[in-house]
Amino acid sequence: MNEVLESLSESIGESHLVQLPLIGLPNAGKSTIFNLLTGGFRKVSNYSGITVEAARGELLTNNQENVTQYELIDLPGIYNLTPTSYDEGVTVSTLLELGPKYSFEKAIILLDWHRITPSLGMALGVLKRIGKKAIIIINKDDDQEVTLEDRSRLQRALGVPVLTISALNTDLKTLDHFIRLEHPVVEENSIAPLPITPLSASYLPSSLNGHKSLNIIPGSRGEEAVANEIDSNLKEARRILGGLQTSNHQRSILSDKIDKIVLHPLLGGIIFFAIFYLIFNAIYSWAGPIMELTEQVVLMTGQWVGDFLPNGLFKSLIVDALFGGVGGVLIFLPQIMILFFLLSLLEQSGYISRAALISDKVMSYFGLGGKAFLPYMSGYACAIPGIMAARTIPNQKERLATIMTLPLITCSARLPVYILIIGTFVPSYTVFKVFNTQALSFFFLYFLGSFAALIIAKILRLSAFKGDSSSFLIDLPQYEMPSFKAAFRQSWQKGRSFLRKAGTIILALSVLIWLLSTFPRLSEEKVQGHTPQETAALQLEHSILGRMGHTIEPVIRPLGMNWKIGVGLLVSFGARELFVSAMGTLYALGEVDEESEGLRAKLMAEIDPITKKPVFDLATAWSILFFFVFSLQCTSTLAILKKETGGWRIPIITFTYMLILAYSSSFLIYHALS
Amino acid sequence: MVETLAQLKTGDQAKLLDFTKNPSLHFKLLSLGVLPGDLIKVLSCAPFGGPIVVKHGERTTFAIRKAEAKDVSIELQTPEAR
Repeated sequence: MNEVLESLSESIGESHLVQLPLIGLPNAGKSTIFNLLTGGFRKVSNYSGITVEAARGELLTNNQENVTQYELIDLPGIYNLTPTSYDEGVTVSTLLELGPKYSFEKAIILLDWHRITPSLGMALGVLKRIGKKAIIIINKDDDQEVTLEDRSRLQRALGVPVLTISALNTDLKTLDHFIRLEHPVVEENSIAPLPITPLSASYLPSSLNGHKSLNIIPGSRGEEAVANEIDSNLKEARRILGGLQTSNHQRSILSDKIDKIVLHPLLGGIIFFAIFYLIFNAIYSWAGPIMELTEQVVLMTGQWVGDFLPNGLFKSLIVDALFGGVGGVLIFLPQIMILFFLLSLLEQSGYISRAALISDKVMSYFGLGGKAFLPYMSGYACAIPGIMAARTIPNQKERLATIMTLPLITCSARLPVYILIIGTFVPSYTVFKVFNTQALSFFFLYFLGSFAALIIAKILRLSAFKGDSSSFLIDLPQYEMPSFKAAFRQSWQKGRSFLRKAGTIILALSVLIWLLSTFPRLSEEKVQGHTPQETAALQLEHSILGRMGHTIEPVIRPLGMNWKIGVGLLVSFGARELFVSAMGTLYALGEVDEESEGLRAKLMAEIDPITKKPVFDLATAWSILFFFVFSLQCTSTLAILKKETGGWRIPIITFTYMLILAYSSSFLIYHALS
Repeated sequence: MVETLAQLKTGDQAKLLDFTKNPSLHFKLLSLGVLPGDLIKVLSCAPFGGPIVVKHGERTTFAIRKAEAKDVSIELQTPEAR
């Protein structure tokens, strides 16, 4: 774990710019301000724990002449200076300037006007340690009012400058001017070291034990000292605020009313499942027409370009590798954008913390808690942010059980494979009047992955990572109307990075797959007397990739797969989407006639030369799907597992158990269905 | 006689007496702006016997597990005292 902290401290420290840390309660609007000031698209959401890695960005106004070059650092939210997890540890060690790499001249403390009392309590604690280096920004709603009198009262009590803004609707100029204003720095005489318990100290870099800013007190004396510290800050905050009217009562009542329904013991559960089913359904049915349109465009462009090129290897490279491989992956862009759009709406609304709470009991049966919900939830997009978000889990064993099972959660890279296989081989009809079989299959695969993750987590928590659970006390933010603009931005950003991936890694690997499946060429004599169709098939089998596929065929035969699928599986260990692009290239190569068909049609039409039956039947299709549900085919996930656990042990164990699970479940489902 | 937060039902109001028994719970509640002597109201109990949802003041809503709610002693407010 120390490695994580070291790499974090590196990422915070190295810069020629003047550091400007931004701190506040979790979900206080820090990321909105960060986006505003830096123009960066930092994810905004209504759930604590979204900022797990310190994000940094230069101020947009740095390009003016003769201005200080500030770099804003968006730190994970804290409630006080007593860290209870690694992400809070990052913030505390930065603020206390623990170690030479952390230093700053000024810090912004953001106060959330909704929760002004705890915000102010936290700010008072921080002011005690960093003195007059802080400036304060109050973040409020558009419909709330902070009177001048309130503001000057705070300014007087805190002795530092205070500005009021509304994060969603504010003037960048005013904000920027306030930040850049020179404030008289009053030298602090002596700052008392921060009392801290040994447990909290364990979330700080270990090299800092005995640092002069820390006073680690063991036992109940330490607990008492920490409690006194927080208690006195809170009482002081209440004294300053005495009689201040901060609430927007109408909104608060509405929020409570929504909670009455959403957190109802029975209704709440139904709503929970309905929301998540709706998301899967949306991805499937809404994206369908858009996807078909994209596919048509890709196909037609490919054909059109192909018509201009002379027959030969170059044409094959363009049509088969570029349009077959990359184009085959590109058509999944709409799904990915819809998924992120909906997840963003959900995050912004404040429902995610309710979902964490609803799931807490169920998660606790599996040795985890509601805190594992967000990491798992992020895992549906991608395992990597999920694994990083697990830093908010205070208990080390729970954290490891969470990150070792996270790759089982169905990430968006599996989406193209699922859609290709389900869309091609699962017949679509309506059951029980409302459910579509394809959407249900889809939902089932997501469920299967999630359920397996929980079962494995339970096994881990009963064996290698046995021990107590961490406590669960979660702050429920008020419901907010989600911003479609922010959701669209989020979805576009993810779409763009998907496109970038398709344009670089997937393009390069598609070309590589094409090379490996085209060379070495067959000699002229060997192809004489064969029809063009047979020649293409023979050529493919003769190639390097064809031989590799044949080599591993005995291993995957029991799973109902042929050598072409084997090739797809081999390349998918680099990244899952490559399965689709490999299939696209392989099937495009085998095709000789110019009548262009989509990959799906080709897959359905393929006949096994030995058995004379279709290669893909329902059993093979489900066998492939099960393999993808369980196996860890992602080099980036392995890398992040190594980084987060500080060694190769955890990634190797995770990879192995998932491979065993994938192989055996594919074997079982294939034999059950055929 | 109701004595801990875990025993309260939806809609109950109570005065918090003491929650120093569990240090991490103590720190967390203080950080949320909750002090002994404050009034709270139980908004709901989550599905499947999950955490209890508590409203404190007009703004703060938090959820706490039953097991941890046992460490919070309270005094049930009679309707007259509300």
